[in-house]
Amino acid sequence: MSDWTIATLARAIAARKISPVEATQEHLARIERLDGRIRAFITVDAEGALATARALEAELVAGRSRGPLHGVPLAHKDLCHVPGLPTSCGTLTREYFTSPFECTAVARLREAGAVMLGKLNMAELAMGPFGDNAHHGDVQNPRREGHCAGGSSSGSAAAVAAGFALAALGSDTGGSIRLPAACCGVVGLKPTYGRVSRAGAMPLSWSLDHLGPLTRTVADAATVLGIIAGYDPRDATSSRRGVPYYERTLETPIAGLRVGVAENYYFDGITDEMAGAVHAALRAIEGLGAVVTQVRLPDPQPLVDVSNVISRSESATIHSRVLRDRPHELQAAVRARLDTGFHISAHDYLQALRLRGRFTRAFVREVFGEVDLLVLPVIPEPAPALEAVKAGTADEIVARMGRFSRLTRPFNGLGLPALALPCGALSDSRPLALQIVGRPFDEATVLRLGHAYQRG
Amino acid sequence: MGNPERLVGAEVANLAAAIERAAADLAMTEEPAGFTVALEGEDEAGEPRE
Repeated sequence: MSDWTIATLARAIAARKISPVEATQEHLARIERLDGRIRAFITVDAEGALATARALEAELVAGRSRGPLHGVPLAHKDLCHVPGLPTSCGTLTREYFTSPFECTAVARLREAGAVMLGKLNMAELAMGPFGDNAHHGDVQNPRREGHCAGGSSSGSAAAVAAGFALAALGSDTGGSIRLPAACCGVVGLKPTYGRVSRAGAMPLSWSLDHLGPLTRTVADAATVLGIIAGYDPRDATSSRRGVPYYERTLETPIAGLRVGVAENYYFDGITDEMAGAVHAALRAIEGLGAVVTQVRLPDPQPLVDVSNVISRSESATIHSRVLRDRPHELQAAVRARLDTGFHISAHDYLQALRLRGRFTRAFVREVFGEVDLLVLPVIPEPAPALEAVKAGTADEIVARMGRFSRLTRPFNGLGLPALALPCGALSDSRPLALQIVGRPFDEATVLRLGHAYQRG
Repeated sequence: MGNPERLVGAEVANLAAAIERAAADLAMTEEPAGFTVALEGEDEAGEPRE
């Protein structure tokens, strides 16, 4: 069962080789058997999933198919509001977040025929890159027990890697889709800011939040993105641009694509294994006909400072109630990060927002004038041991968090599409990963390169 | 956790100094919405689905 992808399961369902009910039952059985150890789920909705699967099966019998997700079991990060289910956002509070309407991305997947198995574990308030959670249990890396699943969408990556779900929604404010995807050896896509509606999902930082898919293959990520992308009047930041047919351009050869590899910052201080795997992937990409060149990228530090001012200010504003009324419920590192936001001036916050536009214009003009895509590492080291990342004082943990997410955060500030995908593994099974970054709203080219590399 | 107030104060001071340095030559025409314009200003990519 764990070898399914959306594409292969959808074909099997369409050919009546497996029914939506059978697929759902098999995934629920796998969750029952293995999730006591992995801790990917906070809520399993077996009854709801089977009822949906039965209804979808009846539609198939009646000759109706909703498309490539018809009867495909998915699950979503526990910050997406789904009517009838609690949304803890990884906190101690069972129903921490609610919304007057269903999360738009979840609703679009449901309408496309997906079966939702439940809600997935995550770092508390989506604030942590390692996947530990004092309230719902630390998510174990399915590839290597005792090691981080990455975060904050830890359950989303672990569920896909463990074969519990064919895809999962995650959120990414500083790397929270790409970091767990890299740690668990799956694909994670942070789309362009505004490409996917965040309506009905818990905000952490309005200016930096993105929703996106975690999947087993790049082709599956293209399928899910095509369904969840597009304008939503419930999200004032969602773009009115049309949504391309991502699947149609996946097979277009990558010969001639100009791929940039950073000569500064992104390879500084990363492990030899990780650097070696990304460079080996670049050689493979070159072998497929792309033109690989070294590029010097603008110093990301001013952008990271700007992003920190924005994220600290906005997250403290959004989550001020729990921080002021029930601070003892929050993990110490989360409390420490939120608290900073109360001390940042409105002047600095507004200056940061103004600077962000200037940095983005300059980056797009300078970098994408030379190359079409960037290929970079995602994480500086393979998934570290869980006990190691939890050790030390809150300030030490916060500093460790910053180091682990330093390769992903710049692209939240810039709002650019970024795809994480596996590029090998260590002998102990911990995955190695690369990141592909593209022009604004050019997910099609990002996915095309990722698919070409993955297919080999 | 050492002295939390001192650490928060140092982090905020560092961020404020970084913003001041970067914003020294910001033009009055730069506004927060400039970010969205920077993203949307690119030519539309791909074949529209709708």
